[in-house]
Amino acid sequence: MILNYIKIAFRSLRKNKGYSFLNIFGLAIGITCASLIFLWVEDEMSFNSSFENQDQVFYLPTNQNYEGEWRTFYSTPGPLAQDMKNEVPGIIRATRSSNEERLFTVGDNAISRRGRYADVDFLHIFNLKFIEGNREEAFNNPEAIVLTQDTAEELFGKNEKVLGKTIKMSNKDTYLITGVIENLPKNVSFPFNWIAPFERYSDGAEWMTEYGSNFSDTFVELSPEANFETVDERVRAIIPEKAESPDTYAWLHSVKDWHLRSRFEGGKIVGGRITYVRLFTIIALIILFIACINFMNLSTARSEKRANEVGVRKAMGSSRPRLMFQFVAEALIMSFIASIVSVLFLFILLPQFNLLIGKDLTLGLTEPLHLGLLLTITVFCGLFAGLYPAFYLSSFKPVDVLKGIKSTNTSASFIRKGLVVGQFTVSIVFIISTIIVYQQIQYAKNRDLGYNKEQLIRIRANEEIKDKFNVISQDLKNTGMVVNSALSNSRLLDGGNNGSGFEWDGGTNTEDILISFRNINSSFFETTGIKLKEGRNFKENVDLDSISLIISQSLANLMGKDNVIGKTISRGNENYTVIGVTNDYQYGNMYSKTSDPVMFINNPNFARFMFIKTIAGKPVNEVLSKIESVFKKHNPAYPFEYAFVDEGFNAKFKNEQLVGELSQIFALLAILISCLGLFGLSAYTAEQRRKEIGVRKVLGSSISGIVKLLSKDFLRLVVISIIIAVPIAWLLMSNWLQDFAYRIEINWWIFVIAGTIAILIAMATVSFQAIKSAIANPVNSLKTE
Amino acid sequence: MILKLNNASKIVNSGSNKIALLDNINLNVEEGEFISLMGPSGSGKSTLLNCIGMLDNFTEGTYAFLDESVHTMKERQRSKLYKEYIGFVFQAYHLIDELTVYENIETPLLYKNVKSSERKALVADILDRFNIVGKKDLFPVQLSGGQQQLVGIARALIGSPKLILADEPTGNLNSKQSEEIMELFTALNKEGVTIIQATHSEKNASYGSRIINLLDGNIVVE
Repeated sequence: MILNYIKIAFRSLRKNKGYSFLNIFGLAIGITCASLIFLWVEDEMSFNSSFENQDQVFYLPTNQNYEGEWRTFYSTPGPLAQDMKNEVPGIIRATRSSNEERLFTVGDNAISRRGRYADVDFLHIFNLKFIEGNREEAFNNPEAIVLTQDTAEELFGKNEKVLGKTIKMSNKDTYLITGVIENLPKNVSFPFNWIAPFERYSDGAEWMTEYGSNFSDTFVELSPEANFETVDERVRAIIPEKAESPDTYAWLHSVKDWHLRSRFEGGKIVGGRITYVRLFTIIALIILFIACINFMNLSTARSEKRANEVGVRKAMGSSRPRLMFQFVAEALIMSFIASIVSVLFLFILLPQFNLLIGKDLTLGLTEPLHLGLLLTITVFCGLFAGLYPAFYLSSFKPVDVLKGIKSTNTSASFIRKGLVVGQFTVSIVFIISTIIVYQQIQYAKNRDLGYNKEQLIRIRANEEIKDKFNVISQDLKNTGMVVNSALSNSRLLDGGNNGSGFEWDGGTNTEDILISFRNINSSFFETTGIKLKEGRNFKENVDLDSISLIISQSLANLMGKDNVIGKTISRGNENYTVIGVTNDYQYGNMYSKTSDPVMFINNPNFARFMFIKTIAGKPVNEVLSKIESVFKKHNPAYPFEYAFVDEGFNAKFKNEQLVGELSQIFALLAILISCLGLFGLSAYTAEQRRKEIGVRKVLGSSISGIVKLLSKDFLRLVVISIIIAVPIAWLLMSNWLQDFAYRIEINWWIFVIAGTIAILIAMATVSFQAIKSAIANPVNSLKTE
Repeated sequence: MILKLNNASKIVNSGSNKIALLDNINLNVEEGEFISLMGPSGSGKSTLLNCIGMLDNFTEGTYAFLDESVHTMKERQRSKLYKEYIGFVFQAYHLIDELTVYENIETPLLYKNVKSSERKALVADILDRFNIVGKKDLFPVQLSGGQQQLVGIARALIGSPKLILADEPTGNLNSKQSEEIMELFTALNKEGVTIIQATHSEKNASYGSRIINLLDGNIVVE
């Protein structure tokens, strides 16, 4: 019996090639799409899962109070880790840690890698697996360093025993390799390539021993028996006690939340990437849903064809459950074929998708979870899509169908119309969302940043570069490729260093105001394009201008409306004189409405970066090689590594860009799937009304009249979809935009455009069938009876 | 006595009017009869056949099939009954397009849960008897009308029914094909199968052992 069903299902597929294609192709697209999303979701959810003691590991962010507003920072006072281990029951391990990028040299081989200075507990908390050396003894030597396998191989070559060998860091300090650990998986929130004892980093510095400043990361591990609430309460109390100020406290951020829940507002977790994970999961289900709708619609639309078979089978003695079983089996076969096709699609598309989302996902069909999920999706689609048609088709009375009574089942056609409206509503919401996300990204990208990010190169400034800055700068200009160059201690795009406790004449409660400070040299403004609105620039000779201060407009506004030039800003017993005011510039959060106040100090000795402004319109390769040769000459020990500021700027939009691109793809697919359905549906309607069309033509109707007749009904459905979709999309998108302080207003014309697109696409789909049946010779259609 | 109708009527609502498609039909059919139902279009031939075949119900009166009263039965019992004892032959053949000749004939056996080996034997027998062994792997569209109806009859016979109901079995066939089908019916009747056919053609009707004329839902008494 089952064999009989399978046989008949396959024959029916083959016989109705167009119909089968529409169904399988639509469903395959849906399954492919959902699979891609689920692979991405799995990767997102699995972040940091490689750390075995997941429930006990925590990072400690600090909440700091500025002008009554709690902000969350990824930094803690230096002594916190040790004090917590000593004083908080339940915390069994704690480590300070600092994330740094360093140059390593072995012979001629030099590479620069990110890694961490940390205490020995770090090795235990993250459960690092040692290939060479061991965890207990790794940090016994103060000059120790532990490398990941990849880093060791890059420095020493493959299959080389490196334990006990020495390497040079930053071209001066010698480190002894005391261990090699397995590489970290890609999906960890705090990646590192090396670990070295923290003392070597802090070097007895005073700021590492006091509670006043926040400089280091702190990780802790709780004992398995510890009660989270009790420990968390104690942890929150410790900084206010030690620092004797309620304005800063630390709290426990679980390793499980590092990746997905790390957006903070008012000192609390308010979500993060989890929003997108949820959103895309819902989108995956919706896309599957609209693919299933096609199947339902086409099956019931085709019912007249199947009705005859139902009648005969019933007359032959088939019971209704048996018929239902047959139709569900057919749907299942269809969805199995679709899922095989979609595996094929996945093989082709996964590399592209990886490229788009910047991940390294694999299909992993041998993994039980993946195979199980694919099977679940397949069976779910088969059942979901097959049950309604099965109910509907098996309900036919044999007398009616055998007598040839046309089934004018209004409830079925109502449901069919409802489903089409559902599909198009989803599609239109996608179209609108895509447009708005794109607009918002462009809006933020094109805002006036207050500096010119184009043709701006950033490189790391080491001591040698800083010492020889004037010579290097001149040599760079001499290449004919460079306009100017400058030093700064901070990247342009990032928050960088900031602090509070500044006072000025006439200001009240100014100590709480958080101000960013930048140590720069005098060519900084010309190089970056930040404009001096008032006053003068720094003098080139640092010694002549060491207590001068240039401030941004927003800080000047805080200081009062009067001329601020010549006023004094002090912190403790340091006094600075304001000599200039610049325009505000955007850094940190690119979506914030206002820019936080900045003060510039003429102190290039603290610089960590060099910015180079190149001449526009020169070939990039030539520019870079010219610049590289200058650095090879003056700073030969270091490899020439650079970053384009505008690329860094674009990277800041990665999340939103991803959402934008994905929603674009989903919008396209949703429309494609919906149109496949509409195409099929219009084909069957045209077939159903063949006789009517024939009669109308004989009676003298024009072709355009018939096209209109056939298209009208479908267009009405699309219009209804638009009416439903607009408020939904408006709600969703205005909600999304709430996340951005600097945001667009939703324009009414977006809805018009989306509606027009939907109507045009639907029209193109439907009219193909309509025209085809309108120009057919009526003789053929009338003869058939 | 294979079936007995007593004042059987079929009344349907058409708008606010009640229309009697069948009006107080009294009919006894003995085993081994070959009955031809005659009458103009709309006289109720097909409705009567469908009701007898239990695809449709009388609204009034009593209907006994093999001494069991059909009108009091539940749907399931009825379906079991006609599955067992009745075979249908249709004017438009109503073969399943997706199935081969062999599979079409086999289908009723599947619904009767007949074992695979037995099915094979039964289908092979009937293919042989109807001389269509060579066509068993063809699909209905590859056959002529007469051949399709042959398959339709073979399918109706495969379950060894006591009664065959044929609604204008030759309506779509030419005269030569009609003749062949009618001769086949006569042969089957001789083997003991009861047949009720609805037909327009006097010639076909004459093959039957009894002719019943219908007009506006009533049996016309000669």
